Amino acid sequence: MEEALVRATIPQDLEKLLGVESRPHPKAFTDAFLKNSLPQTTRCDVNNLLTHKALILGYSRPKKDKRKSKKPKGLNARQKRAMKVFQLKPEHQRYELFLPLHDLWRQYVIDLCSGLKPTSNPQFVQQKLLKADFHGAIVTVVRSKCPSYVGTTGIIVQEFKHVFKIITREDKLKVIPKRNSVFSVEINGFVSHIYGSKFEQRASERSAKKFKVRGTIDL
Amino acid sequence: MAIQLKDKDAYQRMNYLYQAAHCVLSQNPENVELARFYCFTQKTIARRLVLRQDPSVKRTLCKKCCSLLIPGVTATTRQRRKNSKTRFTVLRCLSCGQSKTLLNDP
Ligand SMILES: [Zn+2]
Repeated sequence: MEEALVRATIPQDLEKLLGVESRPHPKAFTDAFLKNSLPQTTRCDVNNLLTHKALILGYSRPKKDKRKSKKPKGLNARQKRAMKVFQLKPEHQRYELFLPLHDLWRQYVIDLCSGLKPTSNPQFVQQKLLKADFHGAIVTVVRSKCPSYVGTTGIIVQEFKHVFKIITREDKLKVIPKRNSVFSVEINGFVSHIYGSKFEQRASERSAKKFKVRGTIDL
Repeated sequence: MAIQLKDKDAYQRMNYLYQAAHCVLSQNPENVELARFYCFTQKTIARRLVLRQDPSVKRTLCKKCCSLLIPGVTATTRQRRKNSKTRFTVLRCLSCGQSKTLLNDP
């Protein structure tokens, strides 16, 4: 029945109106159309399909479920905070655990300043220290706007944008703001002062930044 | 030569941070946080200055949480076979579960 509908010729008056012409052999046209548009495998038995009327035109193979993308997504800030990725556990805050780190740091700085003799140019050393890493250094707060920080000595464990986390000899983790304090670093008798206000960047940003030779220091 | 010297400080710093992470972990294998912080800093420096890191360094850092992957301490290592010839080493981070697959190159 449906086949008949498909093959019905357009009525004479409509044919004139539309300016089209009915095909003389609708059967042949349908067959050719099916032959061209059906997948290769089913082509041979078009006739068979048509007679049985079990023709499914809109068939597509069920898609295989996509493989899960293995690309690491990275964590956003909220996830990081929730996981406490960078927070030290209290039981790890022991001074002696960080002494080897300090030794390593000492080696690193001496290597960085190519020997570091008392005769070496202080300006050169200062320039190097500006871009050096301070994790592991023993620092003392020399001056600060808040007097209770003055005199605190310890190993820098973490450096953040605005604070240093220092572990003291008494196994206490202290958070000291960089702003408005001056730190002193001692390597092989060479004492250097760090003006915290000039250092208010993240630890990683300092490497890329260019420093002004002489800035104003108010403290 | 000048180009090499230009970023020498940064490379030294990254090298130090990498060693520091190892040092921290060797002192206390449970102090993953600090090692991760150092590796994170190292990675950020590399990203900021657009420096290429050696594959041997890159393969020991977790892409997701930046922690240092040491087999048996912060990561598990497994051998996996795809077919008779190709084998892979699968490193799985113990703190976040991210795994990386490396082809065994004979
Ligand atoms: Zn991880």
